Amino acid sequence: MRYFFLLCLFWFQNSDSFAQQDSIVEDFSEYDNVTYTDTKSKVFCNPKILDLIPQRFVSVAFDAQLPHTLSVSEIGKYSTSLKEGDINEKAELNYVGGLRLFANIPVISKNSIVWQVGLNYWDVNYQVKDRTKNGAVSNSSIDEIQKGLTTAGLHSTLYKPLNEKQFILLQVSADLNGNYSIANPQSLNYLRYSAALLWGKRPSDRKQWAIGISRTYRVGEMNYIPVFMFNWTSSSRKWGTEILFPARAHVRKKFNPSNLMLIGYELEGQSYRLNGLSDQNRSLELRRGELRLRTEFQKKLFGFIWGSLQLGYRHNYSYKADYLDDGNDFYRGFFGKREYAMINNLTGAMYFQIGIHLVSP
Amino acid sequence: MKTFKKIFATSLLFFLLTSLTSDEGDRIIGLWEPSNGKARIKIEKIGSKYYGKIVWLKEPLDAATNAPKLDKNNPDESMRNVPLKGYRMLKDFIYNEKNEWKEGTIYDPESGSLYSCVINMKDENTLDIRGYIGVKALGRTDVWKRLMVNKK
Repeated sequence: MRYFFLLCLFWFQNSDSFAQQDSIVEDFSEYDNVTYTDTKSKVFCNPKILDLIPQRFVSVAFDAQLPHTLSVSEIGKYSTSLKEGDINEKAELNYVGGLRLFANIPVISKNSIVWQVGLNYWDVNYQVKDRTKNGAVSNSSIDEIQKGLTTAGLHSTLYKPLNEKQFILLQVSADLNGNYSIANPQSLNYLRYSAALLWGKRPSDRKQWAIGISRTYRVGEMNYIPVFMFNWTSSSRKWGTEILFPARAHVRKKFNPSNLMLIGYELEGQSYRLNGLSDQNRSLELRRGELRLRTEFQKKLFGFIWGSLQLGYRHNYSYKADYLDDGNDFYRGFFGKREYAMINNLTGAMYFQIGIHLVSP
Repeated sequence: MKTFKKIFATSLLFFLLTSLTSDEGDRIIGLWEPSNGKARIKIEKIGSKYYGKIVWLKEPLDAATNAPKLDKNNPDESMRNVPLKGYRMLKDFIYNEKNEWKEGTIYDPESGSLYSCVINMKDENTLDIRGYIGVKALGRTDVWKRLMVNKK
């Protein structure tokens, strides 16, 4: 019998079954006074603050704009906005939208540096209900747009904390935009590059801000603009802001750790090559830029899988077009006088986007 | 009785062997500090596995209640009244004799999220702790430093 008790003793000694419980009340005050056995690790500020919306590793979404009207001019030279007399074709659009895929993989993810590389793919299909033409139209841009607009790109983000409070953030991306198909892609000569460089501070776990400069296509054509980031979470942790002005700005409401809501806007845009109206010497590029006023609900479904539903209004900022010699882009800025090749218009539209996402730790 | 003696002898041999082979893994036992300096974690061995509990917090009181911080972000409502001090945030690690403790989990009390985790010992005073989801590539590594308690 005593062997049996000894066996039991060994079993208890090696058992994991009591791993979550302590039978002894521990005096934690002994851990107040400590020394480092080696050197203290350098403290770097974290790229996140408390309660930011979860960063997405992989995302699959479907975006749809509800009925609206597209009016296009002839190809020519225009310096002003579209007048009634300039309209060459009109199309009533039933729906505009498509699939949006996004992947963002951390190559290096340490407290001293975070480097991520990713892919994105957007598909914008146009379903035309009705078309009216002003006389004979040759080289219809609507025919070209109806082929669908595709964006496929690579992006990279580097977050380098300098110390406990300061950091540098660099984002670069290269996108191939046009009415091409993946089976028959357009030349990489027409890649469009965007970048942003910011320096910022993270004074606390609930606030980070940064200022910087960006090269962006969010207004349709290439532009250089200053950027300002301000992420903040209230002390109650129920409210916050997620702002990267002027690209996007949102107020965040957290209902609980698994349910949150954003209210705000985002600027979206790209410069799309219309291949049927371009040749080797000249590239006709549609400068699509839009302002999306929206509410987004995000919900943790299970584990690290989140779902999102976005509802909002899409306001057209730009749907003009430029001829680019040899496909080389140029800088017009907000005040440039260079004439457009087309001045088109889109009426506003309600839209929704639904997505499922694998999110980051 | 002979049968009991045989079982006892075999068990004794088994436990002795287990103890001897696991000594190398015991190097992780001790007091550690994550890179953000917000907490101190005591890693200990229970049975054949390694666990780490929070024994010190830089800000031990909840600003809203002025009471000791609780695990209020835990998705399991029944755990939200558990004090963070004493909470086992590292669980179930097994040493694999490649300077690596694996098959464990790490809990982040600030988000209430639980991640798979692997620990590598860079040197006797430094740990690389990688929390990840699914595959190690989808994760983040933090550097922890060893601390020594000063005797009173």
